[in-house]
Amino acid sequence: MIVTPRIVVRVAAVSLLAVLLQLSFFSRVELFHVSPDVLPAYVVCMGLLGGTMAGAVSGFAIGFFVDCLLVEALGITSLVLLGTGYLGGLWRERFEVHGTLAPALLCMALTLVAELGFGAVQLLLGIDAPVSVLIVRDMLLKSVYAFFLGWPIYVGLRRLLRPALVEEPTVRRRRQPTVLGT
Amino acid sequence: MYRKQVRRRRAVLALLIVSSFVLLTLTYQGSVGLQRGVSTVFSPLQSVTDRALKPARDLVGWFDKTFDARGENSRLKSELVVVRRKAVAGQEALQENGELRKLLALDRGPVLAASAYKEVTGSVIARSPTAWRSSVTIDLGSGDGVHVDDPVVSGDGLVGRISSVEPGSSQVMLLTDHASGIAAKVVPPGVQGWVEPEVGNPEDLILNFIDSTRQVHAGQDVVTAGWRAQGFESHFPPGLPVGEVIRAPVLEQEASQRVDVRPFADLRNLDLVQVLTGGSRE
Repeated sequence: MIVTPRIVVRVAAVSLLAVLLQLSFFSRVELFHVSPDVLPAYVVCMGLLGGTMAGAVSGFAIGFFVDCLLVEALGITSLVLLGTGYLGGLWRERFEVHGTLAPALLCMALTLVAELGFGAVQLLLGIDAPVSVLIVRDMLLKSVYAFFLGWPIYVGLRRLLRPALVEEPTVRRRRQPTVLGT
Repeated sequence: MYRKQVRRRRAVLALLIVSSFVLLTLTYQGSVGLQRGVSTVFSPLQSVTDRALKPARDLVGWFDKTFDARGENSRLKSELVVVRRKAVAGQEALQENGELRKLLALDRGPVLAASAYKEVTGSVIARSPTAWRSSVTIDLGSGDGVHVDDPVVSGDGLVGRISSVEPGSSQVMLLTDHASGIAAKVVPPGVQGWVEPEVGNPEDLILNFIDSTRQVHAGQDVVTAGWRAQGFESHFPPGLPVGEVIRAPVLEQEASQRVDVRPFADLRNLDLVQVLTGGSRE
């Protein structure tokens, strides 16, 4: 990713919008008793488009911002999301997979990883109450939602960051051979 | 060139990880000035976003509620029968209580501390995205007279308590947060216990440490105990409705002294809440 001041401002504005949308909309709507979490999918898409550094830095910044707005323990969401964004970027750098379903599947898988990571950090810090098995349903449904939300996030971000992307995969339509006179 | 790039990437990653741990350490040491500043600056923006997105939230909520409506309808019908019986019994008890008070010339004693509270109504503007934490942000702050530990209620019952206050917003720790705990009692038998959540299950609370010699049954109500002893007082006034006992197997009561409680307040779909400010704190 070619980082220019204009791109930084653009990414910051979209990240702010993503956090506000998550806290004021996605966290407050439920389908089948589970709210979607778009932030892991967002940082995965950042990693897929910009590489490991873009994923990790945006994950850290978004996590920090979320913890600030919710006045929760600082550092937990940052740690989880920076890891998620880094893994998204690592996928881009190692595997170079440009399939149509790849971003959505990766958003799904890494949202599950983020949820597990969040749970692990919380358990390490100590939880004062018993944990219900329904938390597994919550994690699985969140990752399913990330599958459906991942693709529009990826497409939107790619369009927004197009001037800064280094290796935009070009999809060329094959031209059919034509016969003169027909 | 490539090696230098890789080294730089690793350094940035290490720096970010270390920064996360430093932030975590600072939080547990109580240094959250920056956090409060960011929260204060962005709370008006959150309020605007919340209001702008309400129609979209309502639309999604309508779909979700339509799925649930069929099952809820039959449950509500059976609950209505029980509630009618309770209402009749309640009217009788009220009448009897009034007559007895007249006879004994009792006035409102110190137990009715709830009257010392003043209700301030506010809206929920943000919610934690993960099931591991259960908190919401409301648009009431220290300017509205809100203090840390003030009880928060909705039209249905107790919601939680204020965990932190900024000038224009406050955080509410819901009953379902893992750090939440309330002294409560089952009415009518008056069995006392401690209500704690089951993380990841917003429709279930656990009433612990109940007296195993006294039976609790499904359908009984749980209210805050509001205890007061040796100069200390519960954060919650007595008698705030918390929930209803939904499962009370005798074996479980005897073995682990616990029953399952469904909160009255719909903690997943909170919109308007009331903060009870000004209660006595010691």
